[in-house]
Amino acid sequence: MGDGTVVTPDLDFVKSLKSSGADTVKRCYQCATCSAVCSLTPPDDPFPRREMSMAQWGLKADLAADPNIWLCHNCNECTKYCPRGARPGDVLAVLRKQAITENAFPGFLAKIVGEPKLLILTFLIPIVLFLLILNATGHLNIPDGPVVYDHFFPIHYVDPIFLTSATFVFISFVISISRFWKNLNTNPHKLMAEGNLVKSIVETLKEFLLHKKFEKCTVNKDRTWAHRFVFFGFLGLFITTNWAVFYIYVLGWHSPYRVDDPAILALFNGSKELVVLCYLAFKGFGNLSALALFIGAVLIFNNKAKDKGFVTKMSAFDSSFNVVVMLLFITGILSELLRWGNVANIAYPMYFAHLVFVFYTIAFLPFTKLAHMVYRTTAIVYAKMANKD
Amino acid sequence: MPEEKTAQMVVIGGGISGMTTAIEAAEAGITSVIIEKSPYLGGRVAQLNKYFPKLCPPYCGMEINFRRIKQNSKISYYTMSEIESVSGSEGNFTVKVKINPRLVNSKCTACNKCVEVCPVERTNLFNFGLDKTKAVYLPHDMAFPMRYVIDETLCTKASCAKCAAVCKYDAIDFDMKPETVEIKTQSVVYATGWNPYDAKKMDNLGFGKVKNVVTNMMMERMASPNGPTKGKIVRPSDKKEPKTVAFVQCAGSRDINHLAHCSAICCMASLKQATYLREQYPDSNVFIYYIDLRTPGKYEDFLKKIQADENVHMIKGKVAKIEEDQESGDPILTLEDIEGSVKITKKVDMVVLATGMEPAIKSAGNHGLKLDDNGFIDADLQKAGIYSSGVAKRPNDVTNSVQDSTASALRGIQSTVRR
Repeated sequence: MGDGTVVTPDLDFVKSLKSSGADTVKRCYQCATCSAVCSLTPPDDPFPRREMSMAQWGLKADLAADPNIWLCHNCNECTKYCPRGARPGDVLAVLRKQAITENAFPGFLAKIVGEPKLLILTFLIPIVLFLLILNATGHLNIPDGPVVYDHFFPIHYVDPIFLTSATFVFISFVISISRFWKNLNTNPHKLMAEGNLVKSIVETLKEFLLHKKFEKCTVNKDRTWAHRFVFFGFLGLFITTNWAVFYIYVLGWHSPYRVDDPAILALFNGSKELVVLCYLAFKGFGNLSALALFIGAVLIFNNKAKDKGFVTKMSAFDSSFNVVVMLLFITGILSELLRWGNVANIAYPMYFAHLVFVFYTIAFLPFTKLAHMVYRTTAIVYAKMANKD
Repeated sequence: MPEEKTAQMVVIGGGISGMTTAIEAAEAGITSVIIEKSPYLGGRVAQLNKYFPKLCPPYCGMEINFRRIKQNSKISYYTMSEIESVSGSEGNFTVKVKINPRLVNSKCTACNKCVEVCPVERTNLFNFGLDKTKAVYLPHDMAFPMRYVIDETLCTKASCAKCAAVCKYDAIDFDMKPETVEIKTQSVVYATGWNPYDAKKMDNLGFGKVKNVVTNMMMERMASPNGPTKGKIVRPSDKKEPKTVAFVQCAGSRDINHLAHCSAICCMASLKQATYLREQYPDSNVFIYYIDLRTPGKYEDFLKKIQADENVHMIKGKVAKIEEDQESGDPILTLEDIEGSVKITKKVDMVVLATGMEPAIKSAGNHGLKLDDNGFIDADLQKAGIYSSGVAKRPNDVTNSVQDSTASALRGIQSTVRR
């Protein structure tokens, strides 16, 4: 090694991998069974054998710039056939979490959100913030009359908070992903993204909608439906949110979207049926999306519970997010039911809790499990452009 | 009442390790008895075409051992026999043996007349099912004792009796019944050896589904002059001469889902088998897919010799999938070529799985022995007077098994004089 090439193992990184659920990484003896049985690996740059070696050496920077860990969809064929019980499927899941922490901006926030022990702190942020706003605006009480959430936490306070969060999320992703993109293109694996960007993006999105990569898994196919439910649940709720924005800010139709609102009736030429239809479509779509999300989350837990021996044991990072998704649904649906039942004393605190979970989901998106959708998209687009997927 | 016998040493298993142990002890003046389950002595070695690294046929050595047994009045042996129990303590064991009926007595001259008339066929397990024998058969061409045997599970006995009618020597005896013998002895040596690991258990390697995937032991039989193809290596599906052959190393060994241990002999066995192919088909190409090539000590020279052949290709990377090309019947292998860092598929004429050694004692009912995690006899944990030889103790090649057996013979002798 006369040229002075030295690998400095980052032992702390290796320790952190082990404590995050990749405790089996050191068992790997590099036989490459995993790469051979994997149905998703690109033939000219196979994974996860090399990633296992990189993880054993603690090559943190290289792993953060590795597109392959994102091409992995955790089928766990590798884990099933691994002759050493090194569980490459589990290790890659942990490496993805580490890659998010490594690329994310601002880094300190990523570390806080990524640390299960600090979960309480991440929830305290919205709780304190909301309490301060409610207190400052004199809303820190249970309003009289029928339950209308707008009376408790007016939408013109809620929206600026979430708009600010969304802007922050956007900026964070722009910085994180450009960092990630640069890392991908200067990685040691020499493949550069030189293909057509738009075409690659379209292909990637098409793949996501059809869950094509999941379909390629053979031993752990049940996950396809679980992920479909969560994926389309979130997509549905995103559409619902924009739908509400359209009603409120374009049509001027405010919560609780009364069907006898004269201004709205006038807008639809007095057609009561049309207004009711608009109301039902909106509410129905939102509720169905929420339900899909919940079913998906239950299926995910259910799949993990049916221990087939090779299914990834859930890391705290994954399971805490899955719990939040379930709580998001439960508090949301309960808020809706309590509003109908007009139980003000429980309804308003429930709505408050729901807003806290919504805040967690949106504002910390670049650092939670959910960030994978952006990283994965980027990595797959890169892989397509670099002609390796 | 079972028949009672005495011997100073009982050796369980009549393969190369058991024979060596019993012979070495007897030649030192100790009376020894070999208990062998199958109808012949010689065990797994009898199935081999050649030994590594000298590449001589195992019958050179076997013949010498058989002669040592025949000449020495202190050795006796039981074939077709199983252990029912081992009780007692050092210097005072009782070994209960069940002798299964051979249905052919010692008058047999191996004239083969019975086989010519026998109407019933059986799968030839000596050749791993690659051919068939009649229900009355000679275990193999060089069997010791050179005596026929009748498969009791298939023979219709008196209702057919064609063999009895044709036998001039009155050697067929349908009335033979199982017998029990009790042997009083001072020491017991387990030389129970191994079984090839069942290749069907590896659902990704295609054995039993892809026709042209065979095991290394099947390859030994095919290459043997007394084997099912008289020594000509052909692939099973269409008897074509295989010109490209892949060896899949660690097929089941070093794998916690199968055999967690390294079977110690498979690397050398595949290198040896590469020479069978290269000699028989000078234009053939051999591909050996491995994790590590384990050829310790002097065996390194053998590895270098094979590596020098430019038609033998050694590729680092474990084969993890074998499928069949429907048209040609060719197996297609999938693996990562680690040194090239590419995932490849390779179509070949035939695949040999380098399956490993599963200790036979693991499934045989172990009579209170202490086995290690892999099912081998842990030599350090047995009670006084109980010993083990060869592969019963750990994965071993023939050379090491023989050396180990000489050591076990000495241990057994010590048990007889210690009192």
